[in-house]
Amino acid sequence: MKKKYHDGNIAAAFMLFPSLVLLIVTSIYPFFWLFRYVCYDYNGFAAYFTRTYNFTRMLSDTTFWWSVVHTFEYAGLKLVIIIPLSLLIAVLLNQGMRGTHTFQTIFFMPTVISAAIYSLIFSFIFAVFNGPLNVALQSIGAIKTPVDWLGNAKIVMYSIIIVAVWGGLGNYMIYFISGLTSVPDEVYESCRIDGANAFQTFFRITLPMMSPILKVILMLAITTAFKDYESIIVLTNGAPNNRSHVMFSYIYNLIFASSTTPQIGYATMLSIVAALIIGIVTALYLFFARKLDNVV
Amino acid sequence: MKKFVSGLLACSMMFGALWANGSKDAGGTTKSAAPAVKGKTIINFWTEDRHDLAYFQQKIDEFNKSNPDGIEIAINTVIDNYPNMLAMSFSSGTAPDIACIASATTGFDLKTFADAKIVEPLTNYIKDPEYEKVTEASKNILEGVNAVNGVPYWIPTGVRSGTKMIYNKTLLDAAGCKKLPTTIQEVVDLADAITKAGKGAYYGIGTTSSAPFVRWFEGACEKSGIYRYDFKNGRFNFDAYKAPVVIANKLFKNGDIFPGSPSQGVDAMRAQFTEGTFGIWANASQEAGVFTKQFPVKKFEWVVGQMPSLDGTAKGCVSDSTSKGYLLISSSKHKDLAWKVIKYFSSEDFMKGYLEGGYALPLSTYMAKHIDASKTGRLADFALTPYESMYPSVPAISLAGDTYQTALWNAVMGQADVDAVIKDLNTRYNDALDRDVKMGKIKRIIIKDFDPLKPAAGKIEYSTK
Repeated sequence: MKKKYHDGNIAAAFMLFPSLVLLIVTSIYPFFWLFRYVCYDYNGFAAYFTRTYNFTRMLSDTTFWWSVVHTFEYAGLKLVIIIPLSLLIAVLLNQGMRGTHTFQTIFFMPTVISAAIYSLIFSFIFAVFNGPLNVALQSIGAIKTPVDWLGNAKIVMYSIIIVAVWGGLGNYMIYFISGLTSVPDEVYESCRIDGANAFQTFFRITLPMMSPILKVILMLAITTAFKDYESIIVLTNGAPNNRSHVMFSYIYNLIFASSTTPQIGYATMLSIVAALIIGIVTALYLFFARKLDNVV
Repeated sequence: MKKFVSGLLACSMMFGALWANGSKDAGGTTKSAAPAVKGKTIINFWTEDRHDLAYFQQKIDEFNKSNPDGIEIAINTVIDNYPNMLAMSFSSGTAPDIACIASATTGFDLKTFADAKIVEPLTNYIKDPEYEKVTEASKNILEGVNAVNGVPYWIPTGVRSGTKMIYNKTLLDAAGCKKLPTTIQEVVDLADAITKAGKGAYYGIGTTSSAPFVRWFEGACEKSGIYRYDFKNGRFNFDAYKAPVVIANKLFKNGDIFPGSPSQGVDAMRAQFTEGTFGIWANASQEAGVFTKQFPVKKFEWVVGQMPSLDGTAKGCVSDSTSKGYLLISSSKHKDLAWKVIKYFSSEDFMKGYLEGGYALPLSTYMAKHIDASKTGRLADFALTPYESMYPSVPAISLAGDTYQTALWNAVMGQADVDAVIKDLNTRYNDALDRDVKMGKIKRIIIKDFDPLKPAAGKIEYSTK
């Protein structure tokens, strides 16, 4: 026992204490706070007991369930594009070419810009009348008439995905580069001696050796994609006709929409359901991704 | 030594974290507060208006230099989610002393703020003879709008007109328009004529992603005698919206809407109008300042027309709104000094410059007589008409799903079936009303003698059934 004190456990406990307090105050307590109002109509000041109304309302709330579908659509499309693309760029930038650091900086730059700001810039880029994107596409003959990128229900989600990929690409690229640098040079050297080509090296050596970090990156990407909503609020706020609402943009609007009284009780109910959905998706991913730990 | 240093570091981190969490000063003062000058008392003032900000800043600077009470007004403009931001600032102890308010402040429910005791009753303050003389406060107390159970919480000092149509005269002439439209159908026809004349260079009418329904369409419905709440029976009723929705839908079907405008912000579309890229725009009297100061129109002549209606006659009033009222926040530690600031903002000197600057229309007959109307510029085009009036407050319900503005505008845009939308709105709004009344959250408002041409004249009754 005495030995433990001498090992610096007290110092470690002291050092962990502030983080623990912050975790409880800013994360755990607010989560459990949600449960207080699931059976109430709460506007921030007065709470009215509504029994199971929030639950039954949720079951018949088609806008919410469509927002769940849109969340899966958004997350799926974003992940399918952003993960391979960021991995490809990371591999290319890991070849030791000239100007690698410059390209890394350029690709990473969107990550340090606020989502609200770059979404606002994209709303100008997507402008229908004389918008830069439409003008550019028309000038090369790719489109004949201007496209309503954010107002057309059929393509609005793709427009949002473009912004999401642009904003998140650099982040995942950095994760992948750090994973790539962890693969020892000796392994690649022996591959070259054995006569492996670039394709074989990537799929037989690089990807398997990165599998533990790939597992973490994918988990982060999945949870982030399911929780994204800032860009959507700025670009469309769920329009047209709720076509681009994801779970959290819908919940945000229940509390902060300026055209109706805040519905915090119902929003907490939906927040818990949204958290459950993300939790289930993450658990399923971890279950199916178990093998990634044992690849190497 | 190593252990001592690590222990010391741990302790300092722990106390540092606790200090950051517990210190009242860390987050207890408003961000808007200017550094206090020694001997001065800071009065924090919030507003959501931008069009009159330069005037306010100039008059505040004058006041800060000359007032004998040592008051320093710190102005803070809060643009988004104003009522929510106000409520949250109160909860977190960072509320201002004064908050500017208007009857059209979106999402603001006075009863909620009054019940939560966020706002201070002004009953005793407004007895000030000079204040009464200039504002005619006693005549401007409207239940549900600026008073709850007869207790006033703010007094308006100006009026925002009802919505009006704004036209680019050059494009009207090019389209062969001889007379401004008086019916909704005529607006549709004119927009189509402008679009055809434009041949892709300019379009008929512009809209926006920011509250498009209220910019002109709701005013046109109101003038047609159509209103969302049936005051006589105390129920929501959206049935009559079908006819105007069907007509306005032609704007979208014909391709007369400025491309992409439904997803553009209001200022972006004002800038487009200034560039002459579409012929018809609509809004209330704030556009007088917008098109002369914020986005001055220099390339063409713009004219203001009255709201159209279904048949060209006025069967109801277009809602106007009282503006520039000031809430005294109950958490203020300097209520008497804050009241002096409110009094200054409502004084003859302040209001004369404000009204002559064209920022609002006069509300009190006293101010109407004491301003030089020739100085108000284009605001004169937005002068009130006999069919413009305030409407009594509609019960603030906890609605499930889209608001009527969003749902009906979706139908106008052709993205939803109008019959299904109306049926859904009738169900959702009345279900929410019945539920909220039943749980005691709100009361049903009934005006048995309600007249849509004199909406503010009826006798309000509150029902708990």
